[in-house]
This record gives sequence, C-alpha cells and structure tokens, in this order.
Amino acid sequence: MPRPATPSDSRSTRSATEGSSEARTRIALLGLSVGLVLADSSVVTIALPEILARYDVEVATLAWALTSYNLALALAALPAAFLARRRPTGVFAVGVVLFAMASLVCGFASSFELLVAARAVQGAAGAAVVCGALGLLADVAGGDAPAARIWALAGVVGAALGPAAGGILTQLLGWESIFLVQAPVVLVALLTLRDVQVVPDTRPLERPHVAANAALLLISGALVAAFFLLVILLINGWRLEPLAAGLVVTVMPIAAIVAARQGHAITPLWARTASGAILIAGGLAALGWLPHAGAAWTVPPQLAIGAGLGLALSALTERALAGRSAQAVHGGWTIAARHAGVVVGLLLLTPIFTAGLERNEDDALAAGTSAVLDSRIPPLEKLTVARRVLVAVDEAKDEARIPAVDEVVGDRDDPAYAQLVSTLQDQLDRAVTNAFSRSFLAAACLALLALVPILLGRRDLTV
Amino acid sequence: MRAIALAAGTAVALVGVYLALGGASYAPAAVADPCAARELRDPKGFEQVAEQIVLSALDGAACELGVSREEIVLAFSSRASLERFAEEHGDSTKELESLVRAGLGRALDDAEREELLDPRIVALLRGVVARVPIEQLLDLLERLPPLTGGR
Repeated sequence: MPRPATPSDSRSTRSATEGSSEARTRIALLGLSVGLVLADSSVVTIALPEILARYDVEVATLAWALTSYNLALALAALPAAFLARRRPTGVFAVGVVLFAMASLVCGFASSFELLVAARAVQGAAGAAVVCGALGLLADVAGGDAPAARIWALAGVVGAALGPAAGGILTQLLGWESIFLVQAPVVLVALLTLRDVQVVPDTRPLERPHVAANAALLLISGALVAAFFLLVILLINGWRLEPLAAGLVVTVMPIAAIVAARQGHAITPLWARTASGAILIAGGLAALGWLPHAGAAWTVPPQLAIGAGLGLALSALTERALAGRSAQAVHGGWTIAARHAGVVVGLLLLTPIFTAGLERNEDDALAAGTSAVLDSRIPPLEKLTVARRVLVAVDEAKDEARIPAVDEVVGDRDDPAYAQLVSTLQDQLDRAVTNAFSRSFLAAACLALLALVPILLGRRDLTV
Repeated sequence: MRAIALAAGTAVALVGVYLALGGASYAPAAVADPCAARELRDPKGFEQVAEQIVLSALDGAACELGVSREEIVLAFSSRASLERFAEEHGDSTKELESLVRAGLGRALDDAEREELLDPRIVALLRGVVARVPIEQLLDLLERLPPLTGGR
C-alpha cells in the first residue's frame, strides 16, 4: 500500500528535480561526516600502543579510549535522534562544531583522563552529526529511502575503513593527527547547511524494528573482533608497522563496498542479512583457527567478514529505517544498537582475550625454555640466552607488545643460534596467535546468534 | 535461499581448509614428560658433559615434583619466582633447592659411572653442588664462558 506523502518526500522532489552537482556535493559531504563519525569507533585501535607509550597507563585502562566513544555514541543516539526529528539542521550544526572541538582536545590532550573525556564528548557529538545528517540527506537525496541507503552505506564504509585510516595516519603523522585531521574535515560538512530549509518531520512516531536492531547489536558486537582484535594481533602480536597493518585491513572495506553494491540482487532481505551473518561468523571462526602466523593468512577471513558486513549491516540498517516514521529516530535506534553492540563486544571479548594471553604466556615461556635447553648453542650460554629472553618478555609485556627474538638473542654467525632464534620466534608466534583464538571464536558465536532475530523476524525482513 | 547456501558453503570451506592446515593445533609446543627417558646426545667436552648432568638432574627433580623441567628452570630464574613456585607447590624454597641438589648428585653419580668425567672433577663438583647457593651456582655458570674460552 503506498505510503502517504511526507514532508521529506516533498523536499526531496524539489532536490531530485534539481539534480545538480551541488546536490551531489552535499550528499558526498553528508556521507563523509557520517563515515567519519562511525570510523571514529575503531580509528584509534592501531594507535593504542603509541597512546600507551604517551600516557603510561595500564593496558586494561587503555581500552577506555575506545569504550568511552562507543558508549557515549550509543547513549546519546536516541536523544539526538529525537532532537534531529524536529531540528535536523541545528542538531547537525551543533554536532559538527562540538565534534570538531572535541577532536582538537583529543589531539592535544595532556592526560589520558582528558583524552577519555574528550572521546566521550566526541561520541555524543557524533550521535548528533549522524542523526542530523540522516534528516538532511532525506532533503537532498530524493526521499527517505535513498537517504537511508546512502546513510547506511556511508556508515558501513566508515566503520570498515576506521582501522586502516588510523594506521596510515599514525605511521605517517603520529596518532594525534587522527584527531587533528578530522576536525577541519568534519567542519567542511557545514557547507551543506547553506540555504537549507528542512521541514520538521511531524509524522506520528512508529515502533522501532526490534529484529533488525537486535541483529545489528549482535553483528556489531561480533565485528569488534575484526576491527579491534585483528588490528592488535597484527601490530602488537606480529609486530607489523601501523601503516602495513592499516593496509592489510583495507581488505575488509573493499570487500564490504563490493558486497553492499552487488548484494541488492539478493532477495528476500532476510536471506541477504542471514548470508552476511554466516559469512562474518565463518571469517571470524577462520581467524580463530589460523594455521600460521602472518598477515596473508588473515586475507581470506577478512574477505568473508568484509563481504558479510557489506551484505548484513547496510541491509539491516535500511530495513530498520524503511517506511518507518520518523526516519531520524529510527536512525538513532540503529546507531544506539550498533554502538551498544560494540561496547558489549569490548566488554565480552576483552576478558576472554586477556585470559588467553595469560594462559599462552606460561605455555610460551615453557616452550621457549625447552627450545633453549634442547638447542645446540654452547651449553654455558643457554642460561644467558634464557635469562635475556625472560627479561625481554617481561619488558615487552609492560609495553603490550611481543619481543623480536633475533634482537634479544643477537645477530650471531652461527647456524645453532639461527635455528634457536627461529624456534623461539615460532613458539612466540604460536602463543600470541593462539591467545586470540577463543575471542575470535566467541565473536563468531555472536555473529551466528544474530541469525536468531533475523530468522524470527524474517516476515518483517521480507522486502 | 541460494545466497544462504553459498554463504554457508564459503564459510564451511574456509574454516575446513584452515582446520585441515592445522588451525586447531597452532599453539606453543607441549613440553616433554620429565619422567620419560630422553634421547641422549653424545656429549663432547666438559661443557657438554656438564650440560647433560644438569639436564638429567632437572628431569629427576621435575619428575619427583610432578612438574616440567622447564618450570623448574623458570622458577630458579630469580628469588621471587622461586618463592612463587614454592608457594604454588606447597614446598619451602629450601626443600626445592635440596631436591635439585639431590638430582644433581644423582646425575654426577651417573656421569662417574659412565666415565664421562674424571673422578677428581666429580668430587670437586660434588663439593660445589653441596655448598654453593643455587642462584650463585647459576650465576657462576653464567660467568664461566669467558673463563672457559666460550663466547
């Protein structure tokens, strides 16, 4: 049955008929602001070791640089959405300015506490940006449905690109640049407000789409393993430079964009989202059962995860918004669900990961000691080497990284030493890779759990 | 439905290949049972004979304690780790030290019986093992390389 004409439809007709390059520029800038805010959810992951070195805090405390942002975004999403329903322009403008200011404070933060507080302000302001942007997009993109599509795609691409962008900026310009660069970029989006007169959405408010939002929550929780833990494994575990790690994880956004664009052919919608959840679960399970350490082994699982999130996340977001008034409020529900999922994922997976590290540390030390005792190096040097490795492991633990054994043992022109270095490095790689295993498998279970709301709500998801 | 089957097939194939390549067992190597006989090397020179004696002693002590020889080596890496180890296993550090000393004594007996060492050196080592504190013994061994021409 056709839906009655809405304020956003009348606005959009005007914009669509204009079809100008100005409209396209506005869409691009609004999409950029949404992508930027959602990328911020995971953008500092690669920079965590540098942040740790700068502020000298406990590793467990460090996670607040991520959690505070996602928690604030989840909590502020609904209030911001209700405000954006009536005043999208004002909410977007205030959000952008606050987000830019908070980003600058993050970049110049003199203490970790200030950084965490500024990240929380960033999260709350980010909620205003994304909810306001949805209302503005409806005005400029030709109605609620195309606005929802663009908004969802920008969110998926932003979230997937976050770790890669953070890695590249951290390596080239330092971690502070992540925040200092985004301040002017997000401010440019204010240009979209020129000559805009958006009619407030006065349609009666409909109930949120429970199945789509529940599935979004679970899938976002599962994706914590891909956006956060995988990056930590690459940099802290396998000692990749931030730039290299950033490039490795670009596989996911590329696969997500391709899948999101091609996935529209898959109908009904519940089958598309179920396929996405299954691919994400498969990719995460493969990361949990990596047969070797090395970035190349993460590429096939990343392709599956990227394709899965491209299929599921955008489809669920579109479905949660489609045909429901007011769109800004339902956009707020999806943001709240996604970032509550991220917080749940962080709270659930971090202890599993920490326990894995402790368990494997003992196993790695025993295996390393065994390798030293059984090696062919001169017997009296075994004690020296064993102690050096122990000291290096202790020091590296404080800096949340894995030591490079060749640097610890020293560069000696002796095949017995080369063999020992190779064995020790192999044992460390095995230990650190295995330490992540259970958290990836737990994340895969979360993704599979998302099939429950998808299948239960499949009548609602049949579009 | 075809999309779901394709996604499930891809996921199962990916996980299956990773498991077939050893994904489930990619973990640190398990340490050997200290009570089981080890393959002996043919020691050459004093250093290697001494090493054989120390390793045998560690195996003996570990077997008696029900731990791995690696755990004992790690325990003796510092006074703090030794006390932690003793606390975990309900023994005093003195009892642990005497257990290792007894193991070293038995290993020296074996070396003497196999004629791996000169009896006079064995007697000298027995005196060292009986009197020198374990940490000092380990420190002494660590400082030996320059004295014995090692690297």
